[in-house]
Amino acid sequence: MLIMNGRYEDAGHEESGHPERPDRITAAMAGVDDLHLGDDLKVVPAYAATRAELARVHEGTYLDELGAFCYAGGGDLDEDTYATYDSWTIAQYAAGGGLAVINELKRLGDGVGFVATRPPGHHALRDRAMGFCLLNNISIAAASLIEQGERVLIVDWDVHHGNGTQAIFWDKPDVMYVSTHQSPLFPGSGAAFEIGGMSALGKTINIPLPPGATGDVVRRAIDEVATPSIVEFDPTWVLVSAGFDSHRDDPMADLSLTGGDFAALARTVAGFAPGPGRIAMFLEGGYDLAALRHSVASTLGAVLASAYEAESPSSGGPGTEMVQNAQAERLVALRIAQEAASKGDYST
Amino acid sequence: MRTLSTIAVGFDGSPNAKAAVRWAFNLAAPIDAKVVVVHALGMLGRFEGHDAATEIEESVRQLSDDCGLDAARVHFHVANGDACSVLIRMADDPISADLLVVGSRGQGKHPGLLLGSTSLELAEHATIPLVIVPSL
Repeated sequence: MLIMNGRYEDAGHEESGHPERPDRITAAMAGVDDLHLGDDLKVVPAYAATRAELARVHEGTYLDELGAFCYAGGGDLDEDTYATYDSWTIAQYAAGGGLAVINELKRLGDGVGFVATRPPGHHALRDRAMGFCLLNNISIAAASLIEQGERVLIVDWDVHHGNGTQAIFWDKPDVMYVSTHQSPLFPGSGAAFEIGGMSALGKTINIPLPPGATGDVVRRAIDEVATPSIVEFDPTWVLVSAGFDSHRDDPMADLSLTGGDFAALARTVAGFAPGPGRIAMFLEGGYDLAALRHSVASTLGAVLASAYEAESPSSGGPGTEMVQNAQAERLVALRIAQEAASKGDYST
Repeated sequence: MRTLSTIAVGFDGSPNAKAAVRWAFNLAAPIDAKVVVVHALGMLGRFEGHDAATEIEESVRQLSDDCGLDAARVHFHVANGDACSVLIRMADDPISADLLVVGSRGQGKHPGLLLGSTSLELAEHATIPLVIVPSL
């Protein structure tokens, strides 16, 4: 069964010519429709996340400033990120959409969650919007889960590194953050030697990939670099920053993934969940509408064992050596950090 | 006391950023310091596909002549990221800047609010001295 949020009025968060636009949700929902789930689709209404729910992740002063900025008419928060009069309300619903899906999965103890909300979230920091993101939706959901005693794995396959999510949980031992992303690319973070703070050494796993990397390389990165640590972490929940701008047709970057690659990744990541009702996928990037629609259908179809036919998986692109280097670099960073920690001079 | 040998100045093409670059060039010329003109390449920069390095060079070349700064002392650096993060990294290798210079407000439009202000965020997070140049 697929549990997803109902669409809320998000049309007010739009800037002419900007790729992060309401049509993205329309495309994602069309991808869900393509699965013809019938009674296997349950839609739960999104709600505006409360201040207490947002404040688990974001600083109160930032929330105040963001609300005031929007109600003053909005504008450009930086060269990439805009807000309108309606954006504050819409962002609260985006965060609440994730919480609503998580709550329903917990209530049912069954199903796969899909959070189709915008604006996306994984670049948003505790105190700053960036990279099209205002509130960090997946982190707000993860923070809710860890407050309930869960151990949360976040897998981020967006083409951009989720710097906001990494920073928020940098020193939190109850969250493991795993990212595959193109490098070099915005936001410039996500090196393999970024491994987490002193209280969470090794619980940040970054696997940068070169332009042109194909699905086989991404799968190898997950299998060889991340999986052993994930198994040891033994998550009780799995959340996915499902960015589809790593699709080969997306205009934002240069990875070469296909719908079939997302399907394979989704099956692998779903295998990390301890049982049904413990995995939710959050829409992040994805700016080519046809690729987004197909990728959403491929991803969800794979974990729901649907008959949807995805594109063939891709292979043969560059990046194998970069994955090997990432593994080596990560192990060196871990050893140095552990030695420093044992001497009491490791700084977070 | 740290020697002032490398100045990193943020540049986003705005009039305030040009004022900051001019100020940095005027500071650097008599002490023969190196100036690194830094442009942060955001998500949209990649999407729009423009050649940021060429554009910023064209924009500031004339300014170095006006300020009497040897063009060989001017370097250009385009880095992926938001302006605040990119400028903070200028203190580290390989740039190792001794001073950051930014305009009082770049592309943001709301002078009364902290949000959107790279200069105010840098004032909070910078690890090396920071000069915020007001526009005149």
